Amino acid sequence: MKRGKTTFSGMIERAAPALVIVAVLAIWELFVRLRGIAPIYLPPPSTIAVYLFRMLADGTIEFNLGVTLLRIFAGFAVAAIAGVTLGVLMGMSRIVARIADPWIAALYPLPKIALIPLLVIWLGTGEVYKIVISAITAFFPIVISTYAGIRQTDQGLVKAAQDLGANRRQIQMKIVIPAAIPSIFSGLHLGMGVTVILVVAAEMIGSSSQSGMGFLLIQSGQVMETEKVFASLIVLAVVGALIIKLQEWIDRKVAPWTAYRDGH
Amino acid sequence: MDVIVEDITQVWPGRGGADVVALDRFSHCFASHRFSCLLGPSGCGKSTLVQIVGGLERASSGSVRIADPALPGVTHPVGADSVMVWQNLNLFPWRSVLDNVAFGLEMQGVAKAERHDRAKALIASVGLSGFEGHLPGQLSGGMRQRVALARALILERPIMLMDEPFGALDAQTKIVMQEELLRVFDQTHKTILFVTHAIEEAILLGDEVIVMTARPGRIKEVLKVDLPRPRSLEMVNSKAFGALFDRAFHLIREEVMTSMIQQTMALETR
Repeated sequence: MKRGKTTFSGMIERAAPALVIVAVLAIWELFVRLRGIAPIYLPPPSTIAVYLFRMLADGTIEFNLGVTLLRIFAGFAVAAIAGVTLGVLMGMSRIVARIADPWIAALYPLPKIALIPLLVIWLGTGEVYKIVISAITAFFPIVISTYAGIRQTDQGLVKAAQDLGANRRQIQMKIVIPAAIPSIFSGLHLGMGVTVILVVAAEMIGSSSQSGMGFLLIQSGQVMETEKVFASLIVLAVVGALIIKLQEWIDRKVAPWTAYRDGH
Repeated sequence: MDVIVEDITQVWPGRGGADVVALDRFSHCFASHRFSCLLGPSGCGKSTLVQIVGGLERASSGSVRIADPALPGVTHPVGADSVMVWQNLNLFPWRSVLDNVAFGLEMQGVAKAERHDRAKALIASVGLSGFEGHLPGQLSGGMRQRVALARALILERPIMLMDEPFGALDAQTKIVMQEELLRVFDQTHKTILFVTHAIEEAILLGDEVIVMTARPGRIKEVLKVDLPRPRSLEMVNSKAFGALFDRAFHLIREEVMTSMIQQTMALETR
């Protein structure tokens, strides 16, 4: 039954995930309404949807999400540029690698959230603090993956390029860096993931700017508007998924060869 | 171009101070326009030898001289006149077929339009027209092999070093590629050093077959192959081919046995 698309069992298989989601929402709705649970603890999905549309209609979501996204991309951009640059330099120069290595080894395992009190003392609770904390966190996976990618270049390709007349600089620019791109990208994926986490966390903790999805969550939670908390969480989940999809799409555009395992 | 190899010895530092001698005082003159096949058991140093000739490995001792037979006094720098075709091809996976083939010209600074024109002509000559934009990963093994051949040919260097290039191909594709290589040799008459462990392939392709000993690699015997050119696959059935095959088989059999005993002993002492 290879042509499963048109058969009955094939249809069930394709529809099953959506059906399960609908079923869970229906049970949730019924459970809350029949048992009369207070919306403060668990609002029914229908009410959450109403709140979500209301927050979209009055621009609350758009504004806070926009602010959060700007901070995410600012922090990520700083981390990406600094991390890839240092990673490439480490891969190309043994001295740079030797100097940077103990710092990375010491700072990478530190939970970056633990830096928040210090950063607040130094930078205050404005925009700079939020961008710096997310950039520091994202920097480490990016620099480590970049360095690993540069170091793990297939020596066969380097020799082949050398044989075809490439000089040292050409080998680095035309072979080593392109060969490291898949590894650099996986570092950027990890970096983006932690940037999202750290920006939202920083917006929750000690932020003076009263904006962002983290702020919206904390504020709604403090006044027990549980519907808004759920609505914000849904928005964050959807945006997170979209960011991952966007990255995968960029990967395919920039590094299409990684789709073929046996590339050479 | 003649490749004159004199007393090449290659020693790899082994574990616990036990050095491994890969090549032991290997000397041979690979004459201009001659197709030489290096035949030997695994680990006899034949791949190491072609890498030394290509300037990609440094020998522990001995010398390689590259010289034009018309001007024997002038020695060319090792590696500058040769190009390698690798067993695992080493195509650049992120570059299209066109940009893989044009790589050597790009490194020389040849303008894009010119190098693309030359690469396209060469791609057509190996039968890959229409695949210029494909990535190596999208091609079959035989097609990738053609890309590797074209990438080496574009530099028009007089010496071609081939390290078991067809080792990973299936039987049918291998035959087609052997015919392709024979055609290239008949047209260009490059000096070719071809490493293989397939007896039939060595005799079919080569003007001479250098049978090597098991580790440490030395020359056991040089067989002259007097089959006429252009060669064709039907020659495999001729009497002369059969006699050469028997001789080579006999020589190589002894060495494979030695090599197997060596490997067993190495495992036992580990």
